[in-house]
Amino acid sequence: MATVALPRSNSSSVGLFREPAMLVPVVGAGVLIYLAVLPLLMLIIGSFQAEVAPREFVFTLKNYQNAYASQYTYSTFKNSLIFASGSAGLSFILGTLLAWLTERTNTPLRAIFVPLAVVPLILPGVLESIAWIFLLSPKFGYLNVWLMSLFGLQSAPFNVFSLPGMIWVHSVGQVPLAFLMMVAAFKSMDPSLEESAMMSGANTWQTFRRVTLRLLLPTAGSVLLILFVRTLESFETPALIGIPARIYVYTSEIYLAFNEYPPDYGRGGALAVGLLLLSAVGVWLYRRSTREGKKFQTVTGKAFRPRQFDLGPWRWVGLTFLLGYFIFVVLMPFLVLFWASFLPFFAAPSWDAIQKLSLDNYRYLSSFRPFWEAMKNSIILATLTASIAMILTSLVAWIVYKSKLRGAWVLDFLAFVPITIPGIVMGMALILLYVAFPIPIYGTIWVLLIAYVTRFIPYGMRAASGSIMQIHSELEEAAAASGASWWETFRRVTLPLLRPGFAAGWMYICIVSFREFSTSVLLATGESRVLSILLFTMFEQGQVTIVAAIGMLMILTLLIIVALFQKISGRVGIQT
Amino acid sequence: MIRNVLSLSLALVIALAAGAISPARSQSLDELHKSALKEGALNFYATLAQINAEIVLPAFEKRFPGIKINHVDATSDQLVARAMSEARGGRTLGDVFQVPLENVVQLHDQGLLLDTSFPESSAYPDGLKGTFWIASDLQYFIAAWNTNQVKKDEEPKSFDDFTHPRWKNRLIAEPRDLEMLLAFAKYRFKSDEKAIDYWKKVALNNVEFHKGHSDLAELLVAGQASVCLTCYSHHYPQRIKKGAPLNYMLTEGVASINATAIFKNAPHPNAAQLFARWVASQDGQKIMAQGGRSPAHPKVDPINKTKTEKTYFITAADLKEYPKYEKLWKEIFKLR
Repeated sequence: MATVALPRSNSSSVGLFREPAMLVPVVGAGVLIYLAVLPLLMLIIGSFQAEVAPREFVFTLKNYQNAYASQYTYSTFKNSLIFASGSAGLSFILGTLLAWLTERTNTPLRAIFVPLAVVPLILPGVLESIAWIFLLSPKFGYLNVWLMSLFGLQSAPFNVFSLPGMIWVHSVGQVPLAFLMMVAAFKSMDPSLEESAMMSGANTWQTFRRVTLRLLLPTAGSVLLILFVRTLESFETPALIGIPARIYVYTSEIYLAFNEYPPDYGRGGALAVGLLLLSAVGVWLYRRSTREGKKFQTVTGKAFRPRQFDLGPWRWVGLTFLLGYFIFVVLMPFLVLFWASFLPFFAAPSWDAIQKLSLDNYRYLSSFRPFWEAMKNSIILATLTASIAMILTSLVAWIVYKSKLRGAWVLDFLAFVPITIPGIVMGMALILLYVAFPIPIYGTIWVLLIAYVTRFIPYGMRAASGSIMQIHSELEEAAAASGASWWETFRRVTLPLLRPGFAAGWMYICIVSFREFSTSVLLATGESRVLSILLFTMFEQGQVTIVAAIGMLMILTLLIIVALFQKISGRVGIQT
Repeated sequence: MIRNVLSLSLALVIALAAGAISPARSQSLDELHKSALKEGALNFYATLAQINAEIVLPAFEKRFPGIKINHVDATSDQLVARAMSEARGGRTLGDVFQVPLENVVQLHDQGLLLDTSFPESSAYPDGLKGTFWIASDLQYFIAAWNTNQVKKDEEPKSFDDFTHPRWKNRLIAEPRDLEMLLAFAKYRFKSDEKAIDYWKKVALNNVEFHKGHSDLAELLVAGQASVCLTCYSHHYPQRIKKGAPLNYMLTEGVASINATAIFKNAPHPNAAQLFARWVASQDGQKIMAQGGRSPAHPKVDPINKTKTEKTYFITAADLKEYPKYEKLWKEIFKLR
């Protein structure tokens, strides 16, 4: 690969002073270390400390003993494992089915289901959980009540407050991710292998099982792994469904260790380090498997279009599945929130309830100060996080992929580190770091900004490096040859060419920041409260119908942000 | 000898400090407002629900313009934990702490609260004030039910009713409400044995536990259970007014104290004093009543029907026995 001769000097320490361009990677590395590595160090150190007197700490291993040798260790471990593997499996199956039906079969109407399948991305995890509590709570859940009256059942068929309930709720929230990754996999598959199978006399099912599935195996493994790790790190479902049901997983144990009297920082820290390690191993395996995946490469220079399976009469089954999925899994959570947002208190649909519908909740919110403060904070944080993260990662990606710098991979690595940090662990580490920090940002939205930027740097890197690699060096070389400095080249050639990737990354980070919960839950308080946290506290305080109204306004805001951005940037899709 | 000198000088310092504080005590709220103005803000760590807070806090801000309240709301456990984390990092961010008395005591045990008394406390009986706190409001633990699920002739008249097997799988409660056991042991049955026996019989009906009293009320509205055994009376009048299918029992109940205290080294000490004194004053207590709480001030009545006829008051002295009753409570219901 041709690389730009910028910065021109070799990476010697003398060059650092002679060539100001050298400062960019050094400063970049400094920023990344500060953001990603420092909090982790604080956390790890803290997990080996015990406070013997106010502000006096000694080294100890007891925290680990408390965390991993207690009577609850086994059940927490078991719950986490079941929760994570169950959710990974279920969301993988659903996502793969959706992707296969829409990409590779002749199921009728499949094209309209592609955008619909990613719609749940705009439903924040907290709301997803709340909506499913409304639907599947054993005594008042709409679906349960409805099924009980339909079939004359004595008891509720579903109970959301259980491990299977948690798995279901978390999975359906994760399906869009699995779907997008599998769509990519299906799209890039060379059909000639399948065609040869068909030619050799295999039927559709045999071809699918023996060729398609096997080709997908490496991708499937890595997708499953990433879903597993993401579930392990998630806190929305464990907080809203797990804690009330007294089903504790790693993230909820960490939260409780930190948030119940008496708080046990040592134990929380030790648990967090454990979760961090698990997640790091998962991510490492993922990286390895995707690298090994090259052996199974199916994308070649040859032009091809994946062929479509003819499902025959089964295509109607496919359509039924797509319709059923869309109605029950995508639409219903929105509908139940929409309906509840007009109720004075939670009630099943009935003539009586219809008469009680009103705009009261929305009227109440219009003068409810905490709502507007949270809305303001969320919008500020989402836009700032997206902008800062994208600028930072564009620079870093450019240094990594376009400069000749020898140590550039270090930057790449540093920018990848945050992906291993679970949200709740990040929250905890930042409290430890910033509560004693000389600049008083603890308790303000700025600490949240730092947390969000750090967490979403890897997403930004992905979007930015994708586009950077596509930019042919000729363009930059031409600029350099015409006498432009590295900065001019970066600003006038690279950045404009980066715009599509930048825009997609910005959009995605904006959405995930706006919905962020698991980091904010420890960091956002009082004046720094964000919408997801307001939802959570007000749900805990029992104001469920007002919560539904806040949720609807939150979704509406997200839609407006997406629409505005699409208008500005022209051609942007949601990219993971 | 040295020790004597030390303790003598310590006593002197305390006396001086007390002397320095006492003129402030006689300050009127409006004078205090002037000194609080320089601080301009107040960090209010309180469990007060948003729906109550949005009436109480603007009323304060209107009465004392120029002081903006930053309400950090969470459950009492979370607030204690937060204050402790902050102290661990060498910071005091809270000014006023307003939570159930037991949690106020927890934080005081950590050395984080100011020992002080307020001029307003003279209007309160001894059980409703201490050396570092004053009652802000009372909460009455009562039984409440969903009227769709509990027919008129089935309605409970006293807590004795809930040992009956007809309530099996129909009861919900808060897992941390050991106050019920404690008050029943000390004031209802006046016997640990009888109280334990009573709750064991209730436990046979397979009580379901959910955290958070407002949540319990909402679950009851939605029909998650027929009866809530340990609900707060002040959660019900507003919901019933909106048309929720609910009713509640005021024949007997347990009362516990919510208290106001001030952080040691509060960043806004005058604003903290001002708020704590105002909320304890007759005016402040009237606003608390308007906000939907049951005032603690003897001369201010709640606006809604929240007081029980027979009340088992949990006193500050009972707090020491919480660990004992907590253990028993958890054993009875097999709680973690």
